Amino acid sequence: MTSTSQATHHGTAYRAAHAARLAAAEHQPQWMLELREQAMARFEAVGFPTARRGNEPWKYTDASPIAEATFGTPPTAGPEPLTVALKPFALPCARVHEIVFIDGRYTPQMSSVPGDTEPLPAGTFERHASGLVVGRLAEAIHRELPQVRAHLSKHAGMDANAFTALNTAFIEDGAFVWIPDDAVVTEPIYLLFIGTGKGDAYVTHPRVLVVAGKHSKASVIVSHEHLGDGGYFSNAVTEAVLGPGAHLGLWRLQRESARAFHVATTQATLGRDSTLTSASAELGGKLARHDFNVTLAEQGASCRVNGVYVTDGTRHVDTHTFIDHAVPRTTSNEVFKGILSGDSRGVFVGNVLVRPDAQRSEAHQLNKNLLLSSGAHVDTQPRLEIFADDVQCTHGAAVGSLDDAALFYLKSRGIGEGLARVLLTHGFMREVIESITDEAVRQHLDTAVEATLPHD
Amino acid sequence: MLLEVRDLRASINGVEILKGIDLTVRAGEAHAVMGPNGSGKSTLAYVLAGHPNYEVTGGRVTFDGRDLLAMSTEERARASVFLSFQHPIEIPGVRMDHFLRAGYNELRKAHGEAELDPLKFDRLLRTKVKVVEMNTNMTKRSVNEGFSGGEKKRNEILQMAVMEPKLAILDEVDSGLDVDALRTVSSGINSLRTPDNAIIVVTHYQRLLNYIVPDHVHVLADGRIAASGGKELALKVEAEGYDWLAEANAPSR
Repeated sequence: MTSTSQATHHGTAYRAAHAARLAAAEHQPQWMLELREQAMARFEAVGFPTARRGNEPWKYTDASPIAEATFGTPPTAGPEPLTVALKPFALPCARVHEIVFIDGRYTPQMSSVPGDTEPLPAGTFERHASGLVVGRLAEAIHRELPQVRAHLSKHAGMDANAFTALNTAFIEDGAFVWIPDDAVVTEPIYLLFIGTGKGDAYVTHPRVLVVAGKHSKASVIVSHEHLGDGGYFSNAVTEAVLGPGAHLGLWRLQRESARAFHVATTQATLGRDSTLTSASAELGGKLARHDFNVTLAEQGASCRVNGVYVTDGTRHVDTHTFIDHAVPRTTSNEVFKGILSGDSRGVFVGNVLVRPDAQRSEAHQLNKNLLLSSGAHVDTQPRLEIFADDVQCTHGAAVGSLDDAALFYLKSRGIGEGLARVLLTHGFMREVIESITDEAVRQHLDTAVEATLPHD
Repeated sequence: MLLEVRDLRASINGVEILKGIDLTVRAGEAHAVMGPNGSGKSTLAYVLAGHPNYEVTGGRVTFDGRDLLAMSTEERARASVFLSFQHPIEIPGVRMDHFLRAGYNELRKAHGEAELDPLKFDRLLRTKVKVVEMNTNMTKRSVNEGFSGGEKKRNEILQMAVMEPKLAILDEVDSGLDVDALRTVSSGINSLRTPDNAIIVVTHYQRLLNYIVPDHVHVLADGRIAASGGKELALKVEAEGYDWLAEANAPSR
């Protein structure tokens, strides 16, 4: 079969790149080498999900443009790391823990600690007064920090996800965040991945591991931004682990180039009585896919998983969520809103699994889509599998255009067609933005989303 | 002459609702348009405001010397025509104060005036909310979302207070109001009246006209003005209902 031979061919290309990376990489512990090898083998066995039959998770999104292309190393991979102007990406707050990656590569001279104007020395960790550790994942692996060994690749499954396997095989740079037990971090932790877009055919594998200790509190934003208009491929994985009673805000901004491919998995695993509050904004990419998986692993765990996606032109943006109520007394709330214009396509598939044991659980899901043009298209599918009987579950999905009555109301107050449409479109996704509990992140995402909305 | 309506005809989905309306409104006047359900009262209000669902099939409307029917909805608002909605629209996610400032600044731009920044507009809004005894906090909420019937009507009059229209068309501003709210809303409307502006009050009941005293009362029936008179005409409607209209207008046999 053609698809098999292609998968094998490109599997070989990735295998060669993998071998080259391993040879060049700094010393790594044996378990890491084994993990990489295992991941590479897994990727080779599974291949990209290009089959058009019996391929439910990729039913609405064709991965073949990614599978058929050959991606090399970033053009900026020379010995001297690049520096870029960070101003366009700045969070609107004075104090922030900021770790910057250019084309997947850690740039210590651009990373900073609150209250410290000096850049972070290469290869060191930021250790905040609260005990917070923010730093380079490769360094954490090199030092064999027990939190890394215990959690890296233990949450984001590779078995069914070739992209996660590929990312894991290529773990090199990336961010590691460890919020120790009882630590309360008030400043946002900003993990910024910037694609330079210099040249087309290169791939990066951003990886993030966040370990939140028991009763800790922190807010982490993972951003995928771009500079140039390149057609690069960004293949990201974020794992977050919440200990008992932890409160974690986990925010995501995806604003890749309009010619870029972006595939990402975010996997959060929640311990007893922990709370995850999250929102994602999918604003860029020619072909973008985000899988947001939450495992409510212990009793009392609760999550809010919100998001917006804005598409235009011929872009294709796919969001899949999977909320696993594994045990009793777990809660999930989900609101996703899509704004689609031009000839773009959006996909939202919301999986909720309430396992037989998960009595007295609550799951609520809502997906609303606003189609601003006749050429735009959205596929929305709630998939609820409920095996417990003492549960409260609701779901809803809606697709519509701007409300004519509301348009008339605004116009009757002197507001012209163009501004009226902007106000209504902005208002449509306001609910998601308002749910962001970190003030700086809320402003940042609001500005980013507003800039992406169609203006006449 | 502020508003001159001549032989206005309009239909919706091919059904003629207004069958030749004549109405003259001068500055400083208050007009009441009454009539049974389905007589075309609300249609008249919508057509004057430029609702896109209605097709004007005949007649002309001159407002302040301009051809009103040639103007878009937003141009009419900028030219100082205001419609208070019978059923104000809820707009989730759009804050009242943002919405009001956007509209207010469009009006200012249309008159060649500089836009107000959020701070200055906020100051203006603080004085305007007093007209309808509304709490400033309400203006931070989404437009009409979760507002009670009375709050929605107060909100319409707050918008009127901000826009300061030359002509305000108030469509069933009394519906869904209890006596206290009716008093507040009508005294708000009365406080906004000047010798330079005019109001058209569209209502089913005479009750409202105890609070907003009209100079002229028109009774609509089947898309035409069946009777016009002073405020005593409203009392006749109150006492006798609308049945006498059919008899008065029945073709003589």
